[in-house]
Amino acid sequence: MAKLALFVPCYMAALRPDDGGHARRVLERLGDEVETIVGPCCGQPAFNSGYRAEAKSVGRVLLRAARRHETIVTPSGSCASMVKHYLAGLWAGPRGASIERMAHRFVEFGAYVAAHPNVAALPLRLAGAVTYHDSCHGRRELGLTEGAVGLLEQIEGLDLRRLAYEDECCGFGGAFTVKEPEVSVAMARSKLADVASRGVRVLVSGDLSCLAHLEATARADDQPLETWTLAELLDRALA
Amino acid sequence: MSGFRARARAEIAAGPPAATLSPILRKLVADTRAQLGTASPSDARARAQEARAYAVDHMDELHDQLRESCARNGTGYHRAATAEEAVAIVSRLLGDARRIAKSKSMVAEEVGLTGSLRLQGREVLETDIGEYIVDIEGRGPSHITAPALHLNRARIRELLAGAGADVPDDDPVRLSRTVRDVVAEFFADVDAGITGANAVIASSGRIVIVENEGNVSLGVSRPDVHIAITGMEKVVADEEAALAVLQVLAPSATAQPLTAYTHFLGGPEEGKERHLVIVDNGRSEILADERYRDVLRCIRCGACMNACPVYTAAGGLSYGSPYMGPIGAVVSPLLWRDGRHDDLPSASSLCGRCTEVCPVGIPLHRMLLDLRAGDTGNGGSAIERLGWKSWVAAFAGPQGRAASWLARLGLRAGGNLPGLPGSERSLPAATPTRDPAMLIPLDSIEPEPAPEPPAATLPADVVAFFRERAAIVGAIVTDDAGSEDGDRRVRATAAVASTGSVLLTGEDASRAALMDARRIVVEVDEDAIVRFPQDLAPSLAAGGDPLILTGASRTADIEKRIVRGIHGPEALVVVVGGGA
Repeated sequence: MAKLALFVPCYMAALRPDDGGHARRVLERLGDEVETIVGPCCGQPAFNSGYRAEAKSVGRVLLRAARRHETIVTPSGSCASMVKHYLAGLWAGPRGASIERMAHRFVEFGAYVAAHPNVAALPLRLAGAVTYHDSCHGRRELGLTEGAVGLLEQIEGLDLRRLAYEDECCGFGGAFTVKEPEVSVAMARSKLADVASRGVRVLVSGDLSCLAHLEATARADDQPLETWTLAELLDRALA
Repeated sequence: MSGFRARARAEIAAGPPAATLSPILRKLVADTRAQLGTASPSDARARAQEARAYAVDHMDELHDQLRESCARNGTGYHRAATAEEAVAIVSRLLGDARRIAKSKSMVAEEVGLTGSLRLQGREVLETDIGEYIVDIEGRGPSHITAPALHLNRARIRELLAGAGADVPDDDPVRLSRTVRDVVAEFFADVDAGITGANAVIASSGRIVIVENEGNVSLGVSRPDVHIAITGMEKVVADEEAALAVLQVLAPSATAQPLTAYTHFLGGPEEGKERHLVIVDNGRSEILADERYRDVLRCIRCGACMNACPVYTAAGGLSYGSPYMGPIGAVVSPLLWRDGRHDDLPSASSLCGRCTEVCPVGIPLHRMLLDLRAGDTGNGGSAIERLGWKSWVAAFAGPQGRAASWLARLGLRAGGNLPGLPGSERSLPAATPTRDPAMLIPLDSIEPEPAPEPPAATLPADVVAFFRERAAIVGAIVTDDAGSEDGDRRVRATAAVASTGSVLLTGEDASRAALMDARRIVVEVDEDAIVRFPQDLAPSLAAGGDPLILTGASRTADIEKRIVRGIHGPEALVVVVGGGA
């Protein structure tokens, strides 16, 4: 039984807090002892917008909260990638090196579950058809695809229909969707067309940020769609 | 609103660019992956990256060497510090030349060469089919290797008809040949040819140019003066390095193994002139900045824009720069330091697909992040800065304030999200209701399996491999070519199995003779066949102007539809013999 911290990032705490609960229940079913860190921000919105001093001020709060934990699991490929690849770079010298070491203790939820010694024993069962969307940071910067898809394939009764263009971005991109909304929405529509072509109405992803963007666009376009985080899907498959 | 946003909004409102671009680019990305996966050595990208990284790290040294090599072979070496200087040098070299055949060059676009020469009263014809079309349209190229990609065949027909051509329908073959005829007629009487360059070789002073249509072959052989204009970064150490670049260039650009013609041009023929104009125009400044110097590895293949979902959604014209897509978003604000392109680094969702496909390993999306953080490139307003201040106060301050900050933001916007005119996009429900019926698939829709490129294995027999590939690229492979009027019979110095190419050298490589022929009949000795382009280096050691032919001339400038037989012979006939 491992002790770990579940980091529920700011936007998840604000947009869909239940997803933190889904992730927590799955981790507990694996036999882990879970403490939660709810609501801090990894600094990515400011970092991606070019405001590095601001990103540093905010990221520091998360690092402080995570300091005493050996493993910090977060249900977001995007936040995990920010912490692992970029956050330490905001500090120079030995401070940066020590943050770098700490950053390695962060692990994305799907990757953590997929590699867990008890995962094979999880009684995962859910009848239905879904498709899967990879977040770009999860896919390209953390290599999460295989682990997540493996989990989906482990669910008995689940008809997983892979997208034809799985490696294309959904168009969210954080500040990008605010600065370039027309292009961002055009990209979402392209992704949603791919989803529709699979004949499914439930879209699963490791990243709620992609999902919120896609769900908002689908609703505006009257495309029936439910968006589930991987944590929600696993939790429901365990129920 | 940023310039990019305003242009993209107008483009999307006028008819989404993705409708035209998405199917074309998705196929191109898949074909490129297959091309690099099956027809290239497994370390092709690593070799190209090494060749380009070496050039960037030894830029000054290689240019010293290049200058000497050019002096030896008789090519004029000229260096332009700025765009204005580049135009002035070309103008001086042109002297009183009136009729100028120009082929594709991104640097010429960058410095505004064609427009400047026309203002001097010269007649400049864009001889590349795509460039000719966008020149008539007057909005500039939308892609660095496929300039007319944003135009569909119906619109191209309109443009050509508007320019006085007789085009009864919008068949891409007919449209392409209509432009071909205009260009061919122009070449009958031409004073100078201007081309770009895909690489310049320091050790030999050769200019490397790739093309599919044959307009470069004409431009470097018909007129008495040939001027190649290119960026300072295009230098490579030697023939081996050039081949390493070529091995990934066409696969990444157009998913071809090599382009129809690959030129290696040494000094000018007796009585003619050849000049190389090397343009700096801000590149030295990029070279001096370690955050961005590796962007000078770029070989202008366009793979990053082919793969870019933002480019696909917005179209190339939205960037408002001769350099579009991810490479354009990085290089434009660095080349134009007046701030005109500072909004471009924000025109990316940072998905990283550009970095993934770049054949020379440029970390494009990380450079975009650095540009956003730098003195140029985040285009932030005072209001934006203030917004981030309040964000820091919320998230770095006492517990609980972050949630209220997010809530306030949500309330102010009424939960609405930006994105659509009269937006109906709103934040999804915080506690969504789940309808079990949604899990039931819509069986009326037949899901298509994702396209998987066939995993071809390379045959061990190099001769069979060559025959197979030569036929794939459009050559006629036969044991008996017969004899026809207008045949140009040549013997290949070497041939390349993986690309189906033949290498011609010496008198056999004479562009003038080849372009006038009706068929090119190439004899290939089995012993002369090598496996990959990289293996050609020893065959390029002798002097002269070697030419690699890969299939017959072609274009794909209209909707990426391949039309064979543009300038030069329509048929390339390959006869494989049993050795000397």
